[in-house]
Amino acid sequence: MGLRDDLERFREVGESRRQDLSQFISYGDLGQSTQGSVQIPIKIVDLPEFVYDKRSMGGVGQGQGGTPQPGQPVGPPQPGDGDEDGEPGEEGADHEYYEMDPEEFAKELDEELGLELEPKGKQVVEEIEGDFTDITRTGPRGTLDFEELFKRGLKRKLAMDFDESYVREGLKVRDATPRDVYEWARNQNIPVSLAWIADQASQLAADELNQWESFEAVEENVANEPTINRLRREGLREIPFRKQDERFRYPEIIEKKERNVVVVNIRDVSGSMRERKRELVERTLTPLDWYLTGKYDTASFHYIAHDADAWEVDRPEFFGIRSGGGTKISSAYKLAAEILEQYPFSEWNRYVFAAGDSENSSNDTKDAVIPLMESIDANLHAYIETQPGGAAINATHAEEVERQLGDRDNVAVTRVGEPNDVIDAIYDILSTEGTTDD
Amino acid sequence: MRDERQLAQKTATELETPVKRARELAEKLGLRPYPVNYWIVDHDEMNELIAYSGFQRRYPHWRWGMAYDRQRKQDQFGMGKAFEIVNNDNPSHAFLQESNTHADQKAVITHVEAHADFFANNAWFGLYSDRGDPGQPNAAAMLEQHAAAIDRYMNDPEIDRADVERLIDAVLCLEDTIDQHRPLLAEADPEDRDLSDIRDQLDELGLSDDVRQNVFDDAWIEAHEDAAAELTLDDPERDVLAYLRDHGLAYDNSQQKAVERESWATDVIDRLREEAYYFAAQKMTKIMNEGWAAYWESLMMGDERFAGTDEFITYADHQARVLGSPGLNPYKLGKELWEHIENTTNRKEVVDKLLRVEGITWRNFHDAIDFSVVEERLQPDPLVAGLTASDIDELLQRIESNDDRFDAERVEAAAAGELDLDRYPWATLTYTGLSERHFSLTRRHNRQFVSQISREALEREARYMFDDERYETIEAALADINYTSGWDRMREIRASHNDVTFIDSFLTPEFVSSHNYFTYEYSQATGDYRVASIDPADVKRKLLLQFTNFGKPTIAVYDGNFDNRGELLLGHRYNGVALNEKQAHAVLERVFELWGRPVNLMTIRVEYDEHELEVARRRGREPNGTEVGVRFRYDGSEVTEHDLEYHLQEAIEATDVDYDTKPDEWLA
Repeated sequence: MGLRDDLERFREVGESRRQDLSQFISYGDLGQSTQGSVQIPIKIVDLPEFVYDKRSMGGVGQGQGGTPQPGQPVGPPQPGDGDEDGEPGEEGADHEYYEMDPEEFAKELDEELGLELEPKGKQVVEEIEGDFTDITRTGPRGTLDFEELFKRGLKRKLAMDFDESYVREGLKVRDATPRDVYEWARNQNIPVSLAWIADQASQLAADELNQWESFEAVEENVANEPTINRLRREGLREIPFRKQDERFRYPEIIEKKERNVVVVNIRDVSGSMRERKRELVERTLTPLDWYLTGKYDTASFHYIAHDADAWEVDRPEFFGIRSGGGTKISSAYKLAAEILEQYPFSEWNRYVFAAGDSENSSNDTKDAVIPLMESIDANLHAYIETQPGGAAINATHAEEVERQLGDRDNVAVTRVGEPNDVIDAIYDILSTEGTTDD
Repeated sequence: MRDERQLAQKTATELETPVKRARELAEKLGLRPYPVNYWIVDHDEMNELIAYSGFQRRYPHWRWGMAYDRQRKQDQFGMGKAFEIVNNDNPSHAFLQESNTHADQKAVITHVEAHADFFANNAWFGLYSDRGDPGQPNAAAMLEQHAAAIDRYMNDPEIDRADVERLIDAVLCLEDTIDQHRPLLAEADPEDRDLSDIRDQLDELGLSDDVRQNVFDDAWIEAHEDAAAELTLDDPERDVLAYLRDHGLAYDNSQQKAVERESWATDVIDRLREEAYYFAAQKMTKIMNEGWAAYWESLMMGDERFAGTDEFITYADHQARVLGSPGLNPYKLGKELWEHIENTTNRKEVVDKLLRVEGITWRNFHDAIDFSVVEERLQPDPLVAGLTASDIDELLQRIESNDDRFDAERVEAAAAGELDLDRYPWATLTYTGLSERHFSLTRRHNRQFVSQISREALEREARYMFDDERYETIEAALADINYTSGWDRMREIRASHNDVTFIDSFLTPEFVSSHNYFTYEYSQATGDYRVASIDPADVKRKLLLQFTNFGKPTIAVYDGNFDNRGELLLGHRYNGVALNEKQAHAVLERVFELWGRPVNLMTIRVEYDEHELEVARRRGREPNGTEVGVRFRYDGSEVTEHDLEYHLQEAIEATDVDYDTKPDEWLA
């Protein structure tokens, strides 16, 4: 009764019953295949109906930033443009709905599981120009920092300015030579040059000489007006702009470490992997992919299906295919090692996730898989054992891996027996990686 | 478990006031929704409700399992968030997800109120909901009964569960081949039923199979049944499901012939057909209904600040996401069309008044009028626009002078301190007051709307205007503006239109070009889809194709005794767009299960001969095809293809429509 029953019957459609519907089953994508999004395959049973031929029907699109010209090619019709099924609220009651992106998902999962995974920036370095906050002494006029030039000019002015009439009074002291005046002034920290004094002395009229008996008399009778007062009174007038005060703004160079990730997903597609197991794998691997996409700047995914042999497949196929043959897990790791050659570990974060029911041909785990796992550098190797209803006797792969490599901080082995285990498994896997610190 | 219940309880208590206020505001804005019961549910319950299209119980079927699977994965993988689901019933039931933010809940509530108004007042919903007591869809009860009945058949030891499921699947393949523009008849014509009982009567006579085969054979029975099923080529039956229910048989594999269908099977068909009618209104008004809800939600949440100031940003973000999702977005298209209707109606009202000013004619309209004066005069009364608690004295005075824009009762409540005027200023306004407060032409982005009216439109307005010297000044004319005209008109439209007529009537050329819409077609020459036209008329036609008859080809029953052999003859009413033949064959196989005898489908397709393709390829142009009539026949084992007689081809051909928007010189 109820939805659980409906769900159970849906799972059986085309599998254990209702073979008449198997021609209508497809493994479509959940959500829209926009860039950067992970596609989640989902079993869809599309009952046939009277519909138009897509090509004959054509459609309506909306131009982004302008109307396109007739004759221009457009991509294949997008879901959501027309009568695509699975449209939210296509039938029945209305509901609002929005899409979430991988980053949001990663954030939510972090919160949910209390993870603090900070992805490592790998070596791939990109230099980008940051804000114009650095300063140099030369540069194009356009980047001249005028504020700085003005400030420096102002400082210079303040430093060079002095009360000229006060110093001139010093020259009027009886028998004072320019040098005497210079020394007197300098003792009072007046920034005056000897040359200026000499120049002034030569302009002094004869009747002005010997007006004061001594420098002390000058100091007593004439006030040395501080620069600031004079500026207030007379205004700034001129700021001395000097070449050496020029400063040019320069963009800060930021070294951006790109956080790249390559994920190799491996799945056992041999005969023993039935629908339930297949779905458990999908339920575990998909959020992991989704999560890592959200965490990294660039994510690259490879999918390896294997029975006794391994071959690379596209994602939609990955969860759908089923083959007959036996199982040899090492074949997949060999292929993974080949694939990962294109992704040097110094530049890429690598994850290798394998999933299966732990069945393997005899001695393959010990003789082949474990050495391969050891030789493939990766942030994390994970094996997800899917055994609804407990492990079979001959299914020992997970156990052996755990025994041999379990103490490594980049190897995680986890078991998923039913949908409720998925979250725990994801946590096991991600928290293993989280403790790695190099 | 207990904690969860408590959380739901807490959310529910917090939302009581918003729910009450939202209803009050909705009614003040002129909406007349069904009563709505709100339920707080957790995310899994939400997924279940969505899978069941908003109800708590449906008949057992794997399709709900599929929907649930998808919904759960979407939820689990965080690919989408459902906010709300509301069903069409009286009272409506709306379900809120408890984990949503308070701002989201409020938005959902305002949205739901508008949907409930649409359900209650749109005529297409009325086709179903008025079948018994007007305005009583009784949907939950109906679906519940169907669930119970079908569940009973499934668990009946006499009936093979797989047979029930197969039958349901067969009917579901045809769920859109109903006559959704006609009200659902509660019962089929009794006469039909009687005639199909001929078989029952014969059964009761206890005749041996031999006698039946030789005397009362299928042909004999059908000859009698045909009297009732009078179909002509000019007047085919659009309700294919009803026809199959009344005249179909079942095919008995062991006897290798058609036999009378068991009563449970007929009952299942009948029930599923009824559900198809119930859901048809929703499918027919997607754009209108979502647009309607989005429009009022935005007015209530944004303009009336139903979202608290602290919630406003969350709300704005939420709305931007909903309206911003890609593709042909029903929320966005619908909302924009409604706003367009509001603006043009309001403009018509303003222009009508202005043209009645002495000395103003459509010829000098743009020169004689100072539009800055118009703009200023259209601004609402500062009291109506502002309204804070400090205005209470002024409000009391207005009540005193019987100003119909203010709600006397609520003003007094505010004066007595029972109403927080700062929080709910709108509560002291009447519908008239609110319409002035929200007059669309005073919004910043609409200010040019009046002055930009074209001369043609003005001339049209002025053509039959008699009393055109009524006002001495522009000011006097504008003082007479009826601010409610936009909303009044919108409600009229929501009462009578469906998506097809809505788009047909209100999608204007300006609308198409300002939103960069275009049509695309498949090019035989290049093997890909190409932009075909940016002509607004073409875009509209193409868009209508997507909404007419649920965006699906129209199939009708043309003959129940085709070739005088009791075969079913279905016809695809050809409008220039071809059928997906592969799927059509698969449907025919299922129709066979409902008819029990061979079934035929007529359609027309475009064929290209080799020579033409070659010439077209060389010249780089589209090949010209010829339309050829075909008939597919499924006899229980295989689909065969036959030529279609000319008079039959004529019968299914529509000559006055053309959905092809390819230009003549397309790829030149």
